[in-house]
Amino acid sequence: MTTRQNRQVPDDTVANRARELFDDSVDGLDAATRSQLNRRRHDALEQAAGGVAWSWNRWVPVSGVAAAAVLAVFVVNGNRTDVTPMPANGVADIEILLEGDELEMFEDLEFYTLLEFEADGEAHVG
Amino acid sequence: MNALSLTVEVSCRGEPRKGVKPLKRHEELNRFFAEVEGRALRMAEIAVRNRDDAFDILQDAMVKLARNYADKDAAEWPPLFFRILQNRVRDYHRRHAVRRRVMVWFGGNDDDRDPVESAPDPFGRTPEEELGSARAMGELERALADLPARQREAFMLRALEGFDVRDTATAMGVTEGSVKTHYSRAVHSLRETLGEHWE
Repeated sequence: MTTRQNRQVPDDTVANRARELFDDSVDGLDAATRSQLNRRRHDALEQAAGGVAWSWNRWVPVSGVAAAAVLAVFVVNGNRTDVTPMPANGVADIEILLEGDELEMFEDLEFYTLLEFEADGEAHVG
Repeated sequence: MNALSLTVEVSCRGEPRKGVKPLKRHEELNRFFAEVEGRALRMAEIAVRNRDDAFDILQDAMVKLARNYADKDAAEWPPLFFRILQNRVRDYHRRHAVRRRVMVWFGGNDDDRDPVESAPDPFGRTPEEELGSARAMGELERALADLPARQREAFMLRALEGFDVRDTATAMGVTEGSVKTHYSRAVHSLRETLGEHWE
């Protein structure tokens, strides 16, 4: 296990100075931050021990597919109307959004739902 | 033998041996996280320029290590943990880049500024308060934030966390030669950016 005692740090002026400052900034973390670190660590260990206890985890793949479907609709609509076309890297964006590890994708669902709602509104107006 | 000792004996004898190991692992993980969490938080914070997001990234990395790699030898945890952490930081930047492109596509925001780069100082320091080492640390954080991601990772893992080249390569998921190249370029850039203040 790497510790501060047995670190193998390159001998360089910039590296040495950066390390000193970094160590000071870590040592200088205030009590509130230390407390939150402690809480986050225990939360993480609880989550890990709970396995599938977090029921929302099971919906992540579904939410990812749903969000991708919404984006796909936008891509198709973007080609059919005069709306600014989807950039060339749009496909790459969808790949990123589809990544299985992206648990945070769940948080973006509201955002994409809003976009879908707005797109529907524009379609009715147009 | 009284009732208490009988109870203890039965429960000890009846408990499966492997039931003890997860508890021990849990304690080892707790110690490991306690040892690295402050440094990991600061690294994530420097990379994303936001303390709340850095906390989320840190907790996420802890969960993933504890779930997927708890059975690994504890000596393997540091590079694995920092690899997960770096991946989470990269995910964060990619998601922000995607959001910006989507916003531009819908005409909602054509501001090209990177919110990570333009985020306020996480400590809320005014220029007057950035004195001495705090000022130097602020300069270092900005210089690190301006580096390409791979160079920043190589520098932070080698110089700040003290990983050797091999562990840095494992943590970054690249070859050792690549680590040396990224690190060398990072030092060169930092020297140019910070040189006049640091020499």
